[in-house]
Amino acid sequence: MIRYLTLPVHRSESIGGNYCLLAVRDAGLAALCRPGMFFELKSGAAGQDRRLFKPVSIYKVQSDEIAFLIKVLGPGTQALQVLEPGAPLKLLGPLGNAFQLVKDSRVLLVSGGVGYPPLAYLRDKLDASNEFTFLHGGNCRDDVFPCDDVWTVDGSSGRQGLVTEGAVQLIRDKGINVVYSCGPLPMLKALAQIVGPILHYVSLEAYMACGVGVCHGCAVPVGEGYQRVCKEGPVFDASLIRWGEL
Amino acid sequence: MNRLAASLGRMELQSPVAVASGTFGTEYFDLFDQSVLGLYVSKTITLQARTGNPPPRLYETEAGLLNAIGLQNPGLEAFIGEELPRLREVLKVPLIVSFSGASIDEFVQILLALEKEEGLAGYEVNVSCPNVEKEGIAFGADPDVVYALTRRLAELTQRELIVKLSPNVTDIAAIAQAAEAGGASSLALINTLYGMAIDWNTGKSRISRPVCGYSGIGIKPVALALTYKTAQAVRIPILAMGGIHSWQDALEFFYAGAAAIAVGTALYCDPLSAARIMQGLREHMEARGLSLKQIIGTVS
Repeated sequence: MIRYLTLPVHRSESIGGNYCLLAVRDAGLAALCRPGMFFELKSGAAGQDRRLFKPVSIYKVQSDEIAFLIKVLGPGTQALQVLEPGAPLKLLGPLGNAFQLVKDSRVLLVSGGVGYPPLAYLRDKLDASNEFTFLHGGNCRDDVFPCDDVWTVDGSSGRQGLVTEGAVQLIRDKGINVVYSCGPLPMLKALAQIVGPILHYVSLEAYMACGVGVCHGCAVPVGEGYQRVCKEGPVFDASLIRWGEL
Repeated sequence: MNRLAASLGRMELQSPVAVASGTFGTEYFDLFDQSVLGLYVSKTITLQARTGNPPPRLYETEAGLLNAIGLQNPGLEAFIGEELPRLREVLKVPLIVSFSGASIDEFVQILLALEKEEGLAGYEVNVSCPNVEKEGIAFGADPDVVYALTRRLAELTQRELIVKLSPNVTDIAAIAQAAEAGGASSLALINTLYGMAIDWNTGKSRISRPVCGYSGIGIKPVALALTYKTAQAVRIPILAMGGIHSWQDALEFFYAGAAAIAVGTALYCDPLSAARIMQGLREHMEARGLSLKQIIGTVS
């Protein structure tokens, strides 16, 4: 059941150069959230009513609070960034499928840039029977968030290089048998190659309009045809994605 | 008294608000009561399944949305076998099935198959999709072809026959007149305009199909002008659409000559837009002591 609500922003923070955190409180909505799901978000401020919603993954759910970590990319996310506590936030969701939660596995989480939030939420909900390592990469220190091992392209934080280099080592050394990932397309493509036959769940990003499966705008090449990131996704089995077409 | 009762060809509608083909699904009935709608228009179907265009298929511009979906649909057989029974069960408002073909024979074949099915009020003949090679606008740009196609289809059905027109033509009035002469009982317009966006940083097209369909707020003045122009040229009613977000927008289209209106891209900016428009129209008509039919085409 999809819900459409306008809620007052409960918390609003600027993070680093290019990110912001927004949180709302609603116990009913929080109870529907699962790692991997997303909301379509939009500022309730005047002047936004003829703009599209922006799809944003759930970052954290703690009791009745739902938090979003948002990268500011264009007019829609700029309008979200300036929302102060108490300002109206429009939410449509929760939308999409969720990550399959495994047990008794050696798990690797790999995120890049704004791919971090869904994996941070997943990490919080992973069963204690799993051993896991969380790698995160970004262009520079502004893209870095708490995890086990940080990589930056410019070396300004953590290890210098691409996060996929870290994944190669870990898969080799730790006998990883489940991988979860989310991040920019070049990272995901490289990772899919590295991971090979290991079970690999990828959360994909796509430009989106409706968010509920009716417009077919967010289609990605999966299986024999196209599947919708908003409906069949955003989490896909990496082995079914036709990476060459992305 | 229903001040918002509307007539569209052979149909009497409880509401003048419809949804644009391809932009709507019953999913939205989780959010508002379907009685808001005067009719439900399905996504366009084709004889064979179509997988649609490669991604990216969408981009939001400064004023409106670009899309290149490419008529992704499961094909006629799957529609009749799976989607239609579901729609019949869920819908309490009249169903219009939108369809397109790559030849007149294909259009005929689809219509004949749908004629055997119960639970539909009529058809929207889509001759105006900008995102496919053979179906769509390749058909809708030539008045002679539109006449021949409409005539064949009109002979085969007593149901509502709506022809959906493209704005991407030199003279929409001539095409509208051809559809009317061929036996269309109403017209739907406009389909999307041609549009394009380029990433200035990389020089790449924002959409996989560079010239694609443009909808939403930016096309409203164009849609309004073409509604007016068409209404001046034909007697059959017009289901008008193009950038309608508010009840005030809808009123403009009624004054220009629309018998009913459809909401499309606005649903992606506010899933309750159709319900909001209906409520606003009702309150406005009540306050003015008017009914919808009194104002249609009365622009001065």
